[in-house]
Amino acid sequence: MSGYYLQLMTNGIIAGAVYALFAVGLTLVYGVFRFINFAHGELIAWGAYLTLAFSALIPFGAAIFPAVAVTVLIALAQERYVYAPLRKKAGITLLIASIGLSYFLRNGLRLLWGSDLKSFGFEAARGLVFFGITVSRTQIAMFLAALIFLGFVWGLHKFTMLGKGLRAAADSLELAEIVGIDMKKIGRAVWIISAVFAASGGILIAIDTNLEPMMGIANLLKAFAAVLLGGAGNVWGALLGGLFIGIAENLGVAFFSPGYKDAISFALIIAILLFKPTGIFAIMKGMR
Amino acid sequence: MDYFYHILVIALIYVIFASSLNLELGYAGLYNFGHVAFFAIGAYTSALLSLAGFSPAASMAIALLCSAASGALLAMPALRLSGDYFGIATLAFGELARLFALNERWLTKGPMGLPGIPRPLGIEAGISGIPVYFIFTVTITVAVLLILRKTTMSPFGRALKVVREDEFVARAFGKNVFSLKVRAVAMGSLFAGLAGALYAHFVTYISPYDFSLNETILVLLCVVLGGKGTLSGPVLGAFVIIFFQELLRFLPIPTDWGRFVSPIQGMIYGAVLVILMLKRPEGIIPEHRTLQC
Amino acid sequence: MKRLLALALCLVALPCAALAPAADEVVVGSITPLSGKLAVYGEGFQQAMLLALDEVNAAGGINGKLMRIHYEDNNSTAKDSVSAIQKLITVNKLPVIFGPAASSNFLAVCPIAQENKAILIGAESAAADITKCGDYVFRIFPSDELQGKGAAELAVSMGYKEVVLTYINNDWGVGLGRVFKDNFVKAGGKIIDEFSHDEGKTDYRTEILRIKKHSPRAAVNLTYIKEGATMLKQSYETGLKTQWLMGSASKSPKLVELAGEAAEGVIGTYPTFSQETPQYKHFKEVWAKKYPEKKVPVFGEYNYDMVHIIAKALRASKSYASQDIRAALIEAAKGYMGVTGDKTFDKNGDVGAVYGKWTVKTGNIADYRP
Repeated sequence: MSGYYLQLMTNGIIAGAVYALFAVGLTLVYGVFRFINFAHGELIAWGAYLTLAFSALIPFGAAIFPAVAVTVLIALAQERYVYAPLRKKAGITLLIASIGLSYFLRNGLRLLWGSDLKSFGFEAARGLVFFGITVSRTQIAMFLAALIFLGFVWGLHKFTMLGKGLRAAADSLELAEIVGIDMKKIGRAVWIISAVFAASGGILIAIDTNLEPMMGIANLLKAFAAVLLGGAGNVWGALLGGLFIGIAENLGVAFFSPGYKDAISFALIIAILLFKPTGIFAIMKGMR
Repeated sequence: MDYFYHILVIALIYVIFASSLNLELGYAGLYNFGHVAFFAIGAYTSALLSLAGFSPAASMAIALLCSAASGALLAMPALRLSGDYFGIATLAFGELARLFALNERWLTKGPMGLPGIPRPLGIEAGISGIPVYFIFTVTITVAVLLILRKTTMSPFGRALKVVREDEFVARAFGKNVFSLKVRAVAMGSLFAGLAGALYAHFVTYISPYDFSLNETILVLLCVVLGGKGTLSGPVLGAFVIIFFQELLRFLPIPTDWGRFVSPIQGMIYGAVLVILMLKRPEGIIPEHRTLQC
Repeated sequence: MKRLLALALCLVALPCAALAPAADEVVVGSITPLSGKLAVYGEGFQQAMLLALDEVNAAGGINGKLMRIHYEDNNSTAKDSVSAIQKLITVNKLPVIFGPAASSNFLAVCPIAQENKAILIGAESAAADITKCGDYVFRIFPSDELQGKGAAELAVSMGYKEVVLTYINNDWGVGLGRVFKDNFVKAGGKIIDEFSHDEGKTDYRTEILRIKKHSPRAAVNLTYIKEGATMLKQSYETGLKTQWLMGSASKSPKLVELAGEAAEGVIGTYPTFSQETPQYKHFKEVWAKKYPEKKVPVFGEYNYDMVHIIAKALRASKSYASQDIRAALIEAAKGYMGVTGDKTFDKNGDVGAVYGKWTVKTGNIADYRP
């Protein structure tokens, strides 16, 4: 019986690591630009679908690179043609524009690839068993990739000028500009990191399961919950938040109807916002 | 001609729905992205009560109160949040409401939906009742718009706009900002519930699929396209959007291309939202910003 | 303001101008999911209908007039199905309408058809409730009442006394799950655990663990293709060893394509018909000729039969008024042997069916023989 809960827990941690990947991108953008990018979810889906498209031409392993590169271009185009021109306007304008953008990109996926479920076509393989807990190879890859990416962000934050700039910008955009930090460069870096993380996470999820046009928005809502748990703009909080959501929704199914699996993260969003809007894991303030 | 009345009724329902969102979004500056939840609460309450044997008119009235009450209940805690966060909280609430309708089969019959919802005031079910229902809906819509006009021109409405522009100024004038916002959300939810009830009794069938995130985007588009913060903006927006949708039916699209219609329509909606924000955030009908100095 | 008024007038005037009925054709309406989540299926339905239509018109149409099917998209939603049927009845004034796929959409439109005495026929809607729709509503496809019984009999005949039951959380799954449960329990079976799973998710590991917890000998999974494939694949990875029993909606080569080896050994029920009849052989042949690169889609045979039966009824009907067509339709279907077998309507406008068993064997869908 306890094996059952351990297994649920393991699945939760792995799912949570990927949510964290999405949440970090979302929270970095929020930290610098102070707005919630609703179109972030579409970067997840486009990363996966582009890999599918490129893998028809070149081997799968090689297809990932152009796919991630094009996703980064989409993100930079978003910034350049939509978000940057709107930056000086009221917050609602930016928010509605990002909702519109997300709807546009999602329907673009449906137009190009149809609403049907797609698959990379990997054969199903028996999972590996450790101490009675089964994990698939993809799940292990997902977890490792998440660790490597998050380690990269940690190094970036801690050891580079860019990281210092990020932190400064998160504290105060104006002050950062005054002391001569090149905000254009920082902004670009944030979008690139955000898009690379989203696309990679999307590809991993698609390898693990399938591709479908709604995959972006479904994961975006989880990422929202993770960001809010961690306190917006807080990278480490996003990581912990992601793990928490992953575990909560997987363990929750043991007690509720599986129909409410998604509801767990929505309920968490509301609960956090109501009771502790600064986030539960808003520790390590200096790392913001 | 009944088909034409059918579209008009749908458009009028969206007029009410969009106007109710406009009260929150346009006047009070509250980004409610879960407004469809109150539309759903209105629709389900009214449908369930009338299917249980209550008179449809009474069911509709009770549904309005339920929507308004749940709006106020959500607003009271959620309004502690500012701007974007209020948006996310309401978005989550909207999805929760849909999942509730989908999973609580004992109450809502889940994905099976509720068929055979009777129409109020003895209006016949089916197509023969449409013209009368049209008159019924027109009457209600006009009443709603008159009430909204009176409300937004009242001190309450003006105070809301002050809150939207600057909460501190509103406080300095001695306004109770919190109470103003709660009342705005309650009233917005009331009319959203009314639109939902009208929808349920008109289509005579509802299911959780009618209350998805897409509806939120659609109604948001109606408000933003028409012009938020104005009385006539959402009215125009709703008519343009609904007629655009139905017009697509009459385009001579080759049958093989049929599957491209809906994605392209979605892309157009998304693009319109983005372009509006970039080029004309005030929408077709701009607000007279008399409040600005 | 004037410009706005002009715009509004244009919007109003356009729909009215677009209508021009031709006198030398007989038009039948069809509400088909050409977009939205059921669009995957809609295209196949349409191709099967058009195949039959070609044959009808090649054989002289309806007493010399061309037969045409007027398609309305319903975006796979109930709301748009209602809009579509209102338009077909009031604007196009069509007496016969092919109903939409998905029982929830069909149930949403059937009161409207009944109210207006428009004949509504379904070729893929299975919900048991449709039986009660009224005397203007027919279907070529057997009711779930029969399939639920068939699935319960399958489980019992294979000697499974205790099963875990899961079904997709939509009108089809919930309805079929209920009928299965009733029949299985009545036959002395026991449901150890019962839960629904959401449509269109990518991760069903928790649901699978819940099945694994009980380590049942058999698990009944009434689901669609993509959900079924994902669940099979993930349960394979998780090492769940159980006999999967499935329904008709997941019987598709696409299931095997998506799930690969994990689909091996699945057994399911489906409404069947003999593949040895001359009708079926003819259908196979003409299908391959018209769509050489396409497999026969799910329910394609039913859609094909539907068009032929209607054509037969229209030819025999005294007039194109719906009550005459209705009488002719009942007459035309009496003893009609189509591709999908005997299509005689019972008093509720339902047809009978034979249930077969399918399985996946070395990567192919095959008939199950114990």
